[in-house]
Amino acid sequence: MTANLITLENITLIKQDKEIIKEYSLHINQKQKINIYGDNGSGKTSLLKIIAGITQPTEGRIYYDPSFDMNKDIFYIGHKYGLKNELTVYQNLEYVLNFSRGNNLAAIESGLEEYSMKKYINTHVRYLSHGQKKIISFIQLALISNKLWLLDEPFTGLDKAKINLLLAKMDRHVSDMGSIIITSHNMKDNFDNIKLC
Amino acid sequence: MLKSFVTILFRDMYIVINTTSRVFMPIVYLLLIITFFSISLEGTTFGGYKNILPQIIWLACLLVSLLNMDSLFKEDYEDGTLDGIVINSEILEISLLAKIVAHWMFTIIPLVIIAFSANLLLTGNLDISIILLISLIVGTLTLSLIGSIAASLTLSLKGNGLLLSTIVLPLDIPILIFGTSAIYNASIGVSYNSEILLLMSLLILFLIIAPFAASLGVRSSLD
Repeated sequence: MTANLITLENITLIKQDKEIIKEYSLHINQKQKINIYGDNGSGKTSLLKIIAGITQPTEGRIYYDPSFDMNKDIFYIGHKYGLKNELTVYQNLEYVLNFSRGNNLAAIESGLEEYSMKKYINTHVRYLSHGQKKIISFIQLALISNKLWLLDEPFTGLDKAKINLLLAKMDRHVSDMGSIIITSHNMKDNFDNIKLC
Repeated sequence: MLKSFVTILFRDMYIVINTTSRVFMPIVYLLLIITFFSISLEGTTFGGYKNILPQIIWLACLLVSLLNMDSLFKEDYEDGTLDGIVINSEILEISLLAKIVAHWMFTIIPLVIIAFSANLLLTGNLDISIILLISLIVGTLTLSLIGSIAASLTLSLKGNGLLLSTIVLPLDIPILIFGTSAIYNASIGVSYNSEILLLMSLLILFLIIAPFAASLGVRSSLD
């Protein structure tokens, strides 16, 4: 049986007098892969930030399962990849590992190996392309043990091979009792697709 | 909790090591101010400029320390790492305090050491230079804590430097008064303990207030 991790109840978000999300409810269960899709400006990123606890909704309630720890169990990758340009790839990943209380230092190398990025291990992130930065941000997922991944438009800017690799990672995470919420502009196979208007 | 503190401290240390201009720019500015003041005041003030040089250095340190203050949280905000800090920190206040301490240790302390050395070289007075060093160490940490509150409040604004300076300058004035008074008292042979103790009490006050105020500011800026 899969437990309910987070419940959003009648969430409304108003920013600068504009109603971005209106009375939205959502149940997030263990082992669930959710794709929140919609047009530009439909509030997908705002909804992810509300779930992550970065943004407070104007109205509505959010219930968390007692076993769910906001600080330890959520890992969020937004539009800005969360990488420091001044640090090397290794230093960035080591920081995430230490900060997210991970313990698998060897996973940095194997994660880079998996995405054929090992040659960039000592390269400063500012010298990488956008796509490469995005891949590095996803390698972070292999280092952490957070239950819920919140990924904002994860497939944009990636080639097909990398998308398949990421999808396989997602399947493995879900089979390990994890949950994933992604945002995109259209429906995705093997995801619970929820449209945001 | 301690691990988050140390992790952020080390990360910011590596960033400073990789971008040395962050340390050298304020030092260059400080040396320019000291040099220009020394040239312009030489022979114009009674008893020579050396009597007022430590106070000028104190003021210069205050102004130069404001230069980098707007980038305290701004870079983390712009590259998205601040989101991670807010989400994954056990106690956000501790993580933000780590950022403030890292900023002070790796950008301001080199400045303070240069200020001490410049004063010692130009005045040759070790006693006054030590008072300058102590008052600057305590004073600049307090200035960084005050600056962090303003930096968090102006985080989401473009070109936040001007507003930040406007917010912090009135709060910085007591620190400047106590810092320069301690040096003046030492130079005329009067006790300077009360000024140093007042500086320390202001440090403790802002050490308690600033992380909480900054965390509220950061949360509201990200909202």
